[in-house]
Amino acid sequence: MSTNESLENIQEQIVALLPRLRRFARNLVRNPHDADDMVQIAVERALLRLDQWRRDARLDSWLFKIVRNAWIDEVRARGRRGKLFLAEEAGEQVGEALMEREIDRLSTEAALARLPEDQRLAVSLVLVEGLSYKDAAEVLEVPIGTLTSRLARAREALQSMLRPPEGELS
Amino acid sequence: MISDEMLMAYADGEADAATRAQVEAAMREDPEVGRRVERHRALRELMRGAASAALDEPVPERLIAAARGRASAVGAGADLSRAKEARAARKTPALRRGWQPTAMAASLLVGLSVGYLLWHGSGRLIRAVSGGGLVAGAALADTLSSQLSDDRSPARVATTGLSFRAKSGGYCRTFALTGADASAGLACHEVNGWQIKVLVQSPSEGSAANFRAAGSELSPAIRAAIEGSIEGEPLDHAGEVAARRAGWAAARAH
Repeated sequence: MSTNESLENIQEQIVALLPRLRRFARNLVRNPHDADDMVQIAVERALLRLDQWRRDARLDSWLFKIVRNAWIDEVRARGRRGKLFLAEEAGEQVGEALMEREIDRLSTEAALARLPEDQRLAVSLVLVEGLSYKDAAEVLEVPIGTLTSRLARAREALQSMLRPPEGELS
Repeated sequence: MISDEMLMAYADGEADAATRAQVEAAMREDPEVGRRVERHRALRELMRGAASAALDEPVPERLIAAARGRASAVGAGADLSRAKEARAARKTPALRRGWQPTAMAASLLVGLSVGYLLWHGSGRLIRAVSGGGLVAGAALADTLSSQLSDDRSPARVATTGLSFRAKSGGYCRTFALTGADASAGLACHEVNGWQIKVLVQSPSEGSAANFRAAGSELSPAIRAAIEGSIEGEPLDHAGEVAARRAGWAAARAH
């Protein structure tokens, strides 16, 4: 297998992962255009640093990590957490829908948006993207215990935000 | 004692053998434990299912190009604020600063497609003029002068994309030829008609049809030309109507 072939192969794998990378980036950056910019920056970085990818590691985990690091760089560069962050009003908009028990895409998104960033990313990586605790902890560069406690707290918060009215669950 | 984290790990398939045995024993003793595990699973399904709709959204062409190592619009050293500033300045996601000449490799520039067009279109679309420039032929000029960017009527020779006022005062418009030529370009209205500033053989067939919707699919060469010449922001529908009424002639605000 020539180097070129394998590069093309990886590039196509990255293309196939783009929808998930965009979805993940939207947990970091609220504006979808900004999220796409983050994905683009991350993908360009990834291609420059392919030699740093351990072939035994999952490509998706590695790319999630680059997206997240690109975002951290961005936050550092700005020196403050600006309005790009998922803001609380995202949750407030759909408060009424929640009361109507419309547990749909919008309300789960809104509930997710209300979580602190640490918890939101844990949910995004484990529950949505299906990463193992170990892989998710590696993406976030925290010990597994930290990941699991964030995940547990996030779930508790989500359960209470998304819980149907009393009597709905037997 | 069974902690919620143990139940969560069990529900996620992450529990080790000892924890699994413990949880299963507890489930046998107390149905409530089983219900708690079930709620963890249900939440997982809910979150995953709700997020799956995002996967069906079409991925912007620029991201696909980036993943294939082509057409860098941001540059690996770029940061989001730079991209964002550029966009805020233009109110158009497509337009970015930081475009690098190396990105030109992604596009075939003027020479390659022009000869083809000149020959093929018999000058209806593109004409060479003395002095070496290129101008829109009658059919293309008519389209550029009359067609608004949100007009989707299929019979035209080209679709129009962004319109904007150039620093030089005149109006410029991006276009994509709708024929088999699949070329796109930037034309600016000057005294002797629509001057073709950039002409690019489109790398992807069929791009003409989506040209308008996706400013992000502007080729780097066209994007760079816009960056270099735009004054203010791209025209909206009303702006195009006004410019058309004025014959796309140089018109200074104020």
